[in-house]
Amino acid sequence: MSSSAITVVIISFTLGTLLALLTIPILVWMERRVASLIQDRIGPNRTNIFGFRLGGIVQSFADVVKLLLKEEYYPAHITTGRWLFMFAPIITFVAALLAFMAIPFADTLNINGEMLRVQPLPIDFGVFWYMAIGAVGVLGVIFGGWMSHNKYALLGAARAGSMVISYELPLGLSILSFIITYNTVDFNVMVHFQTGTALGFLPAWGIFIQPLASIILIIALFAETNRNPFTVAEGESEIVAGYMTEHTAMKFAMYFMGEYVAMNTASAVIITMVFGGYQLPYFATEDLLTHFSTFAVIIMIVLPLFIYGFIKWMQKNNRVKETLSSDGGRAFETRFFTIAFIVMGVVLEFILLYLAFISQSDLERSIYIAVVQVAIFVMKLMLFNLFFIIIRWTLPRFRYDQVQTLGWKYLLPLSLVNIFITAIVVVGASL
Amino acid sequence: MSQNIKVTKRPTYTLKHALYLPAIAAGVKVTFKHFFKNISDINAVATLRYPEEQPTDITQRYRGLHRLTHRQDGSVACVACFMCATACPSNCIFIEAEERDDGVDEKRPKSFFLDTLECVFCGYCVEACPCDAIRMDTGIFSLTGNKREDFVMDKEQLLSHKGVFSEELSRARF
Repeated sequence: MSSSAITVVIISFTLGTLLALLTIPILVWMERRVASLIQDRIGPNRTNIFGFRLGGIVQSFADVVKLLLKEEYYPAHITTGRWLFMFAPIITFVAALLAFMAIPFADTLNINGEMLRVQPLPIDFGVFWYMAIGAVGVLGVIFGGWMSHNKYALLGAARAGSMVISYELPLGLSILSFIITYNTVDFNVMVHFQTGTALGFLPAWGIFIQPLASIILIIALFAETNRNPFTVAEGESEIVAGYMTEHTAMKFAMYFMGEYVAMNTASAVIITMVFGGYQLPYFATEDLLTHFSTFAVIIMIVLPLFIYGFIKWMQKNNRVKETLSSDGGRAFETRFFTIAFIVMGVVLEFILLYLAFISQSDLERSIYIAVVQVAIFVMKLMLFNLFFIIIRWTLPRFRYDQVQTLGWKYLLPLSLVNIFITAIVVVGASL
Repeated sequence: MSQNIKVTKRPTYTLKHALYLPAIAAGVKVTFKHFFKNISDINAVATLRYPEEQPTDITQRYRGLHRLTHRQDGSVACVACFMCATACPSNCIFIEAEERDDGVDEKRPKSFFLDTLECVFCGYCVEACPCDAIRMDTGIFSLTGNKREDFVMDKEQLLSHKGVFSEELSRARF
């Protein structure tokens, strides 16, 4: 292995870990702020470090500190299997984290003839990895509920178990129709497949090529992540907190954070399989490389507009009403970030100028395109996470038998029919 | 007989309802509208920014923290009749009476303790008082302290509270 290969592996692994772990506080914050904005409230905006409140993200770190410093309490009635009781949240968390590691964040880098994957785990069977590891996550829920020796927790675990058998089949079958369409189990090749156009004008995204399978996949992944409208395992109106009733402090936090990592992973999988992954619609990586100057000039025009819009929005919203005497340091924060964003924009403009007109190095350009693709991936990821959150604050919860009806009576036959049609079309096209 | 029966036409269960996805889209449209409206102007949200922004909608009838009223000469209007303590459903008023030798009245409270941790702010003491000596018109809705004893109001504290809506003096004892 050359030094560039080692660098790329280390960078993509760091990127994957950061994307999975650092998004937890951001997602918790997003969930709280989006929920409050949807309900015409404000949400957490007070906690700050030296006056920097970042719109309230600091609150999430304060929450983590609080959960870490809480008393570790073990229910005295749990006599057998205490290690499994402790281990269960870790299973959920680690499974979600590992499943995220098979997602490609950018196209394969070509460094001096070496093809290097920008993927934390550089494997070419990512779909199988996701299906294998992703399904383990629910074991943590079932073990945790079962080992709690508590009727609510046991009911929650039973519900999780019944749900897993009703959504795993449609999930696997819808993924199977994607595998048939894309003719691969490699996430990166799947993204490549989605770069062209379908029917002449639509981007060849999975949602346009396989609409039914895409919808089934999205529904099944909502169920897999235990998010609304499928939060049957922890319905607080019937079974308190469900499987995590007896879990306190950091054990609870593991379940809680695991839910957000799972949501992030599900978003990443949906984006990669259905919404074109890290690619811009219509443009393949080769197109961007051959027309690099045009691409760079477009970004150079769009970037300042984007920064200008963001600064305007920040100046309008990161302040208090005029009637209040003190703004708690928001004016200073706004000024600091205005300058920071302008400096960042200027630096990026100069880098783009250099790459577009002075440097002719393909290596630098392809690295730059990889960075842009990571940015597009993160943007799509956050948009889909926002969709997850908005759905949670829009829909009521399905009843536990309704989930099973949906899974067995509707999604399973639909996905079987879809596989049948897909197979006929694919075989017919190959004749 | 049949003309009295009103037949309500039930909504027909169409494919659109069975699909469930159009309903989700309609719901997301509503929530997203709220989200977008509020994210583009956070200061338009009606929430009170509490410690900096104080409520302005406290009315005359609002039952705030108690106070003891004064007479014209500045002495306490209370005659220590124990009516309020008797009416109190949570038994949070503790009065000790003493004889009043300045010729203004016969009795006055030697001590008057009101435990606000026990108080349910029902206003029965105000209703029961024959001398208009105890009132809840201070407009104070928030009381903080570091220990339990801070919440037990004594006579001096209760006399020091100011009414914000009506005159300071008792209207029954002059």
